[in-house]
Amino acid sequence: MSSRPDPAAAPAVADEDAAAVRLHEVGHVYDGAGGPVAALGPISLTVPSGTFLVLVGASGCGKSTLLRLVAGFEKPTSGTVLTGGAEPVPGRGAGIVFQQPRLFPWKTVGGNVELALRYAGVPRAERARRVPELLERVGLHDVADRRIWQISGGQQQRVAIARALAGDDPLLLLDEPFAALDALTRERLQEDLRRVSAQTGRTSVFVTHSVEEAVFLGSRVVVLTRRPGRIALDLEVGLPRTGIEPDELRALPEYAALRAEVGHAVRAAAA
Amino acid sequence: MRVLSLLALLALWQLAAAAAGNPSFVPAPRAVWDQLVLLSTTHDGVRGYSGHLLAEHLGISLRRILVGSALGVAAGLVIGVVLGAVPWIRLVAEPVVTFVRALPPLAYFSLLIIWFGIDETPKLWLLAIAALPPVAVATAAAVHGAPTGLVEAARALGASRWNVIRDVVLPSALPEIFTGVRLAVGVAYSSVVAAETVNGVPGIGGMVRDAQRYLQTDVVVLGLLAIGLSGLLIDGLLRAAETRLIPWRGRT
Ligand SMILES: Nc1ncnc2c1ncn2[C@@H]1O[C@H](COP(=O)(O)OP(=O)(O)O)[C@@H](O)[C@H]1O
Ligand SMILES: [Mg+2]
Repeated sequence: MSSRPDPAAAPAVADEDAAAVRLHEVGHVYDGAGGPVAALGPISLTVPSGTFLVLVGASGCGKSTLLRLVAGFEKPTSGTVLTGGAEPVPGRGAGIVFQQPRLFPWKTVGGNVELALRYAGVPRAERARRVPELLERVGLHDVADRRIWQISGGQQQRVAIARALAGDDPLLLLDEPFAALDALTRERLQEDLRRVSAQTGRTSVFVTHSVEEAVFLGSRVVVLTRRPGRIALDLEVGLPRTGIEPDELRALPEYAALRAEVGHAVRAAAA
Repeated sequence: MRVLSLLALLALWQLAAAAAGNPSFVPAPRAVWDQLVLLSTTHDGVRGYSGHLLAEHLGISLRRILVGSALGVAAGLVIGVVLGAVPWIRLVAEPVVTFVRALPPLAYFSLLIIWFGIDETPKLWLLAIAALPPVAVATAAAVHGAPTGLVEAARALGASRWNVIRDVVLPSALPEIFTGVRLAVGVAYSSVVAAETVNGVPGIGGMVRDAQRYLQTDVVVLGLLAIGLSGLLIDGLLRAAETRLIPWRGRT
């Protein structure tokens, strides 16, 4: 399920690694009720495998649109989007975490993760073993039998992350997953996501409007302009990804400098 | 509180019967009670009413309601899913469902008798046809309004079309479907008297109809009470099933 089904469809980039995301002159225009709405671009961007890319921009600048294009939920009105060398199809090759957890209330916590494994083609016996494993990975213990409404919003979002990791897809897409959480919970989830991401090393595209979050999580940060979003700043983050405590990281002088630079770019782009 | 209001109702009834002064018009509670005892026993060599005890009349009617609504609900579910999922079929078929829904059961009963005779078949058809529209309409609306966020989440996980229907659309529609089922059983209930107008004995509707012909008003009232009370009971059972089957109701 995580492998590209049709390698012949992309002969030009056949040697490209499976996780990479490529956007070439991508633009998107919606048919709004009051006429066309240019939401994004044109934008060109290549995300090599293993990158943790964070997209920062003001609300309404087209971040979600970009993510939906990469997920395959929308087709770009101009340009081309490729993931792993092929046109993206929902459910193939990318796990997605939305702003709201979007868990199925008719399933238990464990049942939600189990369903994701089932769709990924994991056999029944193995699913029973992997559900608790995935929940542990996102820092959840003993909640598998709970109902969705019996756990906190932060825990629900952890389940959503576990569910998105279940398919072992090479790509992980996250659309402001922590925006609705309180500050303390958000910080803890950011730290855990940074750890999980360093462990799995999978390519990620993370959308946020928070400068702090962008610098803390990203190995690369892209700042978008106002709608229609274009690239205002594209920055490699040289901070260490492993072997450092979150507080140590935040105390580094380079961290403060990066935060200032990105913050400046975001303010300039929104002006 | 309930006991009090029940007693008040009985007192009112008694007063109304006294005021009317004619037991064929408004029978007294006592007379209805006597009929209950009479119809539940064999007396003077006569078993209940027309050879069947009250419980047997009621049981046979309940069985008809059960089978009829089960058929109607099953068909309504299938039709509702198709209506909700395929826009052009909805466009064509929705007026048909609304049309059938507007027909009084007695109106199409004649046709059913011509087609299926006077035994059980036309009765079950009538109840099924009466029960179908509420379920079809509720299911179609719920399927059509399936939460896009959850459908998208399932698709993002690799769900096929069929997976999405089975794992997201149907469960999310279940609360509304259940409301439709309760409505359907209610409609089947109110149609049973119509279904038993022809060759309806044994059956509580047939019993009421015969009693009406012979002006046995106390039997008519007893029959109505039996239908109404058993209806309350069935609805209570359905509600209990609902809370058990849909614990997430109101939590999404
Ligand atoms: N389905 C849609 N139809 C019409 N306009 C849309 C639609 N989705 C988004 N938009 C518009 O496109 C712009 C970008 O939206 P979005 O990508 O959601 O921004 P962001 O995620 O950065 O807040 C916004 O102005 C929004 O109103
Ligand atoms: Mg957004």
